[in-house]
Amino acid sequence: MNKFRREIAALPRDARDTLFLLSVIALIVLPQAENLPWWCTAITAMVLVWRGTLAIEARPLPSKWWRAGLLVLAVAATFATHRTLLGRDPGVTLVVVLLALKTLELRARRDAFVLFFLGFFAMLTNFFYSQSLMTAFTMLLALLGLLTALINAHMPVGKPPLMQAARTAGWMALLGAPIMLALFLLFPRFAPLWGTPSDAMAGRTGLSNTMRVGTIAELALDDSIAARIKFDNGRAPPQSQMYFRGPVLTQFDGREWTALPPWARGAQSAANLRTSGAPVRYEITLEPNHRPWLLTLDAAQSAPEAPGFEVTGTPDLQWIANRPVSDLVRYRAESYTQFLSGPTRQTGALRSYLALPPGLNPRTAALAAEMRAQPELANADTPAFVRAAMQRLRTGGYTYTLEPGVYGANTADEFWFDRKEGFCEHIASAFVVLMRGLGIPARIVTGYQGGELNSVDDYWILRQSDAHAWTEVWQEGMGWVRVDPTAAVSPGRVGQSQRLAPQPGLFAGAIGAMSPTLSQNVRAAWEAVNNSWNQWVLNYTQSRQLNLLKSIGFEAPSLEDLAYVLLYLLVGASLAGAAWTLWERSQHDPWLRLLGQARTRLAKAGLKMPETAPPRQMAAQAEARFGPAAGAVRDWLLKLEAQRYAKASPASLAALRSEFRRLNWPALNPRR
Amino acid sequence: MIASLRSRIDGWFLSRRPPSDTLELTQRNVYIVPTRAGWTLAATLLVLLIASINYQLNLGYLLTFLLAGSVAVGMHVCHATLRGLAMHLTPPDAHYAGAAAVFRVVLHNTRRSVRYGIGMAVRGSGQWGWTDVPAEGTSTVEIAFKPERRGLHPVPPLTAETRFPLGTFRVWTVWRPAAQMLVYPTPEAHPPPLPPGEPFSGPAATSAALRSQSAGEYDGLRAYRRGDPLKLVVWKKAARAQATGSEELVSRDMQQTQREELWLDAQATSLVDPEARASRLCAWVLMADRLGVDYGIRIAGRVVQPSQGEAHRRACLEALALC
Repeated sequence: MNKFRREIAALPRDARDTLFLLSVIALIVLPQAENLPWWCTAITAMVLVWRGTLAIEARPLPSKWWRAGLLVLAVAATFATHRTLLGRDPGVTLVVVLLALKTLELRARRDAFVLFFLGFFAMLTNFFYSQSLMTAFTMLLALLGLLTALINAHMPVGKPPLMQAARTAGWMALLGAPIMLALFLLFPRFAPLWGTPSDAMAGRTGLSNTMRVGTIAELALDDSIAARIKFDNGRAPPQSQMYFRGPVLTQFDGREWTALPPWARGAQSAANLRTSGAPVRYEITLEPNHRPWLLTLDAAQSAPEAPGFEVTGTPDLQWIANRPVSDLVRYRAESYTQFLSGPTRQTGALRSYLALPPGLNPRTAALAAEMRAQPELANADTPAFVRAAMQRLRTGGYTYTLEPGVYGANTADEFWFDRKEGFCEHIASAFVVLMRGLGIPARIVTGYQGGELNSVDDYWILRQSDAHAWTEVWQEGMGWVRVDPTAAVSPGRVGQSQRLAPQPGLFAGAIGAMSPTLSQNVRAAWEAVNNSWNQWVLNYTQSRQLNLLKSIGFEAPSLEDLAYVLLYLLVGASLAGAAWTLWERSQHDPWLRLLGQARTRLAKAGLKMPETAPPRQMAAQAEARFGPAAGAVRDWLLKLEAQRYAKASPASLAALRSEFRRLNWPALNPRR
Repeated sequence: MIASLRSRIDGWFLSRRPPSDTLELTQRNVYIVPTRAGWTLAATLLVLLIASINYQLNLGYLLTFLLAGSVAVGMHVCHATLRGLAMHLTPPDAHYAGAAAVFRVVLHNTRRSVRYGIGMAVRGSGQWGWTDVPAEGTSTVEIAFKPERRGLHPVPPLTAETRFPLGTFRVWTVWRPAAQMLVYPTPEAHPPPLPPGEPFSGPAATSAALRSQSAGEYDGLRAYRRGDPLKLVVWKKAARAQATGSEELVSRDMQQTQREELWLDAQATSLVDPEARASRLCAWVLMADRLGVDYGIRIAGRVVQPSQGEAHRRACLEALALC
């Protein structure tokens, strides 16, 4: 390590600066490597290493044909990958490639500037994919790195140590932080200028409007956070009742369940929600999922209070926002865990909950017919059929597994008769097909079940792996009733929220082997930190801005008031700056100041001297007055003189200043 | 049109500055404007802001505002790099036209931090000398300047500039030093030999005669001419001349010893152009000085009585510079 440092120190300044800049660029690009096309990462890494080697070996830069060739290649590859050059993802790819290629012509200061500006832009593109605390920290480091490189580029004399520039950069960022804070708090938050482009949705995991049998099983491995819930006063309902409602799926084509199109759903009043018991109040922080629905605990009677969104309800108890949740959103809601909904009498609208794809799943249809024909189920009502089906799931040797394998065309048949194993969506799907075969209206509800309490900050955390599918069957006189067939197969899955945990990684495994609770605690603490980051920084929205104004005394704050406050701050800061300049002007030459201090000190001892007395004269008079006691003072005064007038100054002013403080000044009673 | 307007504004601007050999840089005489890179950075900030708004990136806002804050601090740092600095000009030595002159400017920093990346140049020359000024210390910058014409010139206006730390702002000052600079004519590259001596005249004749009696027989010296006998060559002087790299020989002027003295006269150059005359006389002065003979000059009504030595040479060159 030391050898490496010495080698770096021995490099000529150009090479050292270039290597530093290259490593800062690598730091900027690295976090998004997984989001970039593989070739982009490869070209970037190759070019950076190439440029670094050229710098170390002091070889000439490649000709412009290399650069042009690589650029054409990159643009072509971008087009091949994204099928367009416009939009967010191709833009990010191009920015990263340009940033790397620009280093190949890093010669003049102008080129360096282009590199810096591309660098700042590439930093922002990181935030498209992640705004986590970790990303923020990495980018802060990268920003300081870029500033350091920029400052270093403006120190033309000699070979100043990079630490010097880094220190200046750190100071500048520190002094700039209040400005950042003021702007961040007060800069009005506008709605997106031209709408979030559609490709912002790409590459996101989470629930969707459709459920192909097997999609939720994929989510089960995804440990990322879907939402955080804070219950008022910490009063959370029992975990077995924590069903968070997502899309309700009605139509089935044999493989895929889809929601009813909006026009077929009807008005919200059709939901006919009837609640009992006390409501649960809570606040949800929903991670961006780029879907319009807002997750609520089953079932919310009134729309969640989501600032900046217009929320409407659907007959199947979903809450839909007017735009996709493209950023972290926080909202309050109120839910009743005891509820019934839907029509209590048979209506024509229920017919769409009976439809099955024709010709598929014949054995399930036969099973339904068989059940209907059973004597003990003759004239049975819906609850009886549900009990019978659940009984079959419990006792028929069905198992809950994360890897049920690939299902064929007749998914319900395969589940009921052949494989007898599946994840929640297989079970729910097969259950609904059977119910519909029995002539009972049924539907699939997807969402999240359970969650996990973080003991550090008392937030409940819903992960993608908590994604769940359950069913609702319609019952005469009751309406829609929740039935969770998975609970019959694997009782532990619901309630205690037993997860099918994926294999822990090497590192987590090692920590887990040392202390099983340690890794859990570390994770809980880390997620709590992350959560407060989300709550305070990422979730700082327009409404919170206006709340801030309210708390400092505005009665009905508006965006204009924000601008006024910002303006006042600006004026205030300018006045403070002007005052500071005036103060600075009154500060005289430090040498004269020090001499003045010495004069004051001697006057205190009884030796008054005119302001014009030079140090040598002061030294002579002090010696005449105090004798040998003033020896140290005399020496010091002569050194002060030398500091100002000698060709090579023996001591710095700072040293003289500290010596002044330690100096043994002559006593008050003079020698008479 | 624009150029002439600009130079007039420039002249007016310069005339407002009182000339002085020391300059304390304060709020009043330090100027700041964004550089092209500064404008580009402003555009980058705008793009970052728009992207943050459009993609609703709170972290993007933070990045944009932190960068903006740092740039604002950088503006202040940039201005403070020059503000409070004191500059002292060491008056330049006289020198020959066409040769590079060097001004030395001593920069005094009374602040407790280093001032980095300060460039100094003759205004409009574009030839920058860069320096850092240590904390509570001084540093000296040498500024090269090539005066074209002989004469007594004011030191050209100087400028100090810095772009530290981010290069987004240019902070500069203009300084009109009070010192004047004497520029001698360019010595002619290959001058003909020194002219022959002239008979003593006027009061100088008696003094020279007196001197010759006391000092011995060799008073008249002239440059070696072809045909001079070798024993007339002053070998002592020849050796000294050779040590300084010149090949010139000097002969004793036996016949004219008591009756002639060396006058470098503009008339004797047989040149018409006054600049060429000054140039040749300059070369002759240097030659005579090197030979260690007495010489006087006469040009354009100015007369410097024959003598020798450093002060005399300066007086002669000054007369040549100012004639």
